[in-house]
Amino acid sequence: MGNSASHSPLLSSDRNAAPRQMVSASMRTASGPTHYGRALYLAINVAILIFLLAPIAIVVVFALNPTPFIQFPPVGVSLRWFEKFFASRDFMHALGFSLQIALLTTVSATVLGASAALALARGNLPGTRLIVATMLSPLMLPAILTGLALFQTYVLLDVGRPTWGLVAGHTLVTLPYVVRTTLAVLHNFDLRLEEAARNLGASPLRTFFEVTLPLIKPGVLAGAIFAFIVSFDQFPVSLFLVSPGNETLPVTLFNYLKFDLDGTIGAASVVSIVLAFVVVVGLDRTVGLRSYVKL
Amino acid sequence: MMKALGSSRLSRRRFLTASASLGISTIAAPHVARADDPTLRITGWGGKWGEVMKAEIGPAFESEFKCKLQTDSAFPYLPKLQASSRSAPIYDVLHTNSNEQWAAAEMGLVEPKIDAKLVPNLTDVYPYAISDKIVGVSIFTSAIGLGLRTDKGYGSVSSWKELWDPKYNGVRGGYVIPVNSLGQAFLMMCGTLFGKGQTDLDAAYAALEKLKPIKIVDFTGAMEKMLLSGEVGLCVIHDSGIYRYDGQNQPIDFVAPSEGVLSLEQVLTITPGSKMKELANAYVNYMLRPEIQKRLAETVWYSPANSKVKLDAKYDAKLLTTPEKVSKLIQVDWKWYNERKDEIDQRVNRIFRA
Repeated sequence: MGNSASHSPLLSSDRNAAPRQMVSASMRTASGPTHYGRALYLAINVAILIFLLAPIAIVVVFALNPTPFIQFPPVGVSLRWFEKFFASRDFMHALGFSLQIALLTTVSATVLGASAALALARGNLPGTRLIVATMLSPLMLPAILTGLALFQTYVLLDVGRPTWGLVAGHTLVTLPYVVRTTLAVLHNFDLRLEEAARNLGASPLRTFFEVTLPLIKPGVLAGAIFAFIVSFDQFPVSLFLVSPGNETLPVTLFNYLKFDLDGTIGAASVVSIVLAFVVVVGLDRTVGLRSYVKL
Repeated sequence: MMKALGSSRLSRRRFLTASASLGISTIAAPHVARADDPTLRITGWGGKWGEVMKAEIGPAFESEFKCKLQTDSAFPYLPKLQASSRSAPIYDVLHTNSNEQWAAAEMGLVEPKIDAKLVPNLTDVYPYAISDKIVGVSIFTSAIGLGLRTDKGYGSVSSWKELWDPKYNGVRGGYVIPVNSLGQAFLMMCGTLFGKGQTDLDAAYAALEKLKPIKIVDFTGAMEKMLLSGEVGLCVIHDSGIYRYDGQNQPIDFVAPSEGVLSLEQVLTITPGSKMKELANAYVNYMLRPEIQKRLAETVWYSPANSKVKLDAKYDAKLLTTPEKVSKLIQVDWKWYNERKDEIDQRVNRIFRA
């Protein structure tokens, strides 16, 4: 800092500085094609962003528009649909129930998925590829069929439609996310770190909690976040597994819009988006997601 | 991070204990709440219907018959009933539209008729409610006709055939026929209007071809929103979808065409394997009581099936509450339709895809 030598690219300790300046110089001297390329790149990115965010923007407009139907341009700003949403016992019960199911699913999918990934990566199991493919298969099967199959299984077992059955169904469809993200970090795991801990006298349990778990945490956390969001928004599996009086928010919304397609749906969607956002930000603040997630 | 947790009142132990308690209570709640009273498992609509059922009519039934009413309002009902055991069906009473009831009856999932000895109020219903076009009993009906914007200068409308008038190109509305019973009923009406009758499918297909361009929706409730927003000017719709905005100063109106209105029945049936037959019959009878019929009719604008019901003047003027008005109802032969549904679906999909 403040060293005059650092101003000279050749004497600089930053060995990348010279090539970087040369590249930027060549870019400055580059004529039209590079400029057009950058503009095209920017335009494509903006188009993708618009494509991703436009539905959310429309939902927000619908939720804030006071008319009982989708109208563009909106005629004003009103919170009447939010009031209706928060005043509805059915919606509030469904929201609370969805959150509870999503949290339970996150815990079960994370514990099972991370354990399974560890066993698959370390266990020298016969037919590992087949087991991995089987564990990821719920992603390939239409979720509505998974829901129907589980429903029939519960009927055959004569257990009705229990809440644990719904959690089990959600766990089934969220498990692949945790397995996949945990396997990804385990793929680059340096086993010598565990060996070093064991050589220094750490027990297998201590090695797991003090060496392995902190190192695979990014994958486990990423999987847990996926599990929460997928469970909270899960519709096809829940459709068959919810029991009367205990419907999740997506199922309640579906039933509602069959009869009333008003801004309450938009308000509920905005609340869902905000909740998902709060979960991600909350995890970032509490467990430092940004420093972990480098997948 | 750990410091922050440690300094706050929420310790890790407390957090874990609270989380575990929440999990256990979520999973165990339905078992804890299960009462000793017998439970009647039924299906039912959401929206206003669901609200009044949950707040008033359901609890009154539970109190009178000393039972629990467990209402499934999460679609789809028929696949769930199909997937459950015939000897221990998931529902005791199935409430759905007539087309689904016929499909259920064909599969032996519901009893085709209700016993009048066990349901005394059956003697007071209009003939359409227990006609040969009905499985079980229709407790209410809506009238499917035309919905019109009154502020667009379209003039008066009196016939179904006016829907084909080119002046409605771009503002004409209908339903996705394979998934919506109003659309299916309308297809049968096309056969009547332009052919030899409901079963004249060739005439119906030709009429649908000429109906394009048309804006089609799958959810029944979506059409009234299209009409309210002005996206549609003339459309197929049920009267309840228009009358529910009564008094809200909306520029929309329902037209009962001169050729007649199609019926959209709310039907109750009992499952053969139900272990709660007595209670199921009591529920059907209860739903046909004049006071229950009046309360629901005036909440959701459905025409009551019980001929003894006296509605308030506002509702009486618009709903089908006299034998003369009821005689304008055209019932669809759903048994015939369901037998050809796949073939019809393929054909109409081709028509509207082109």
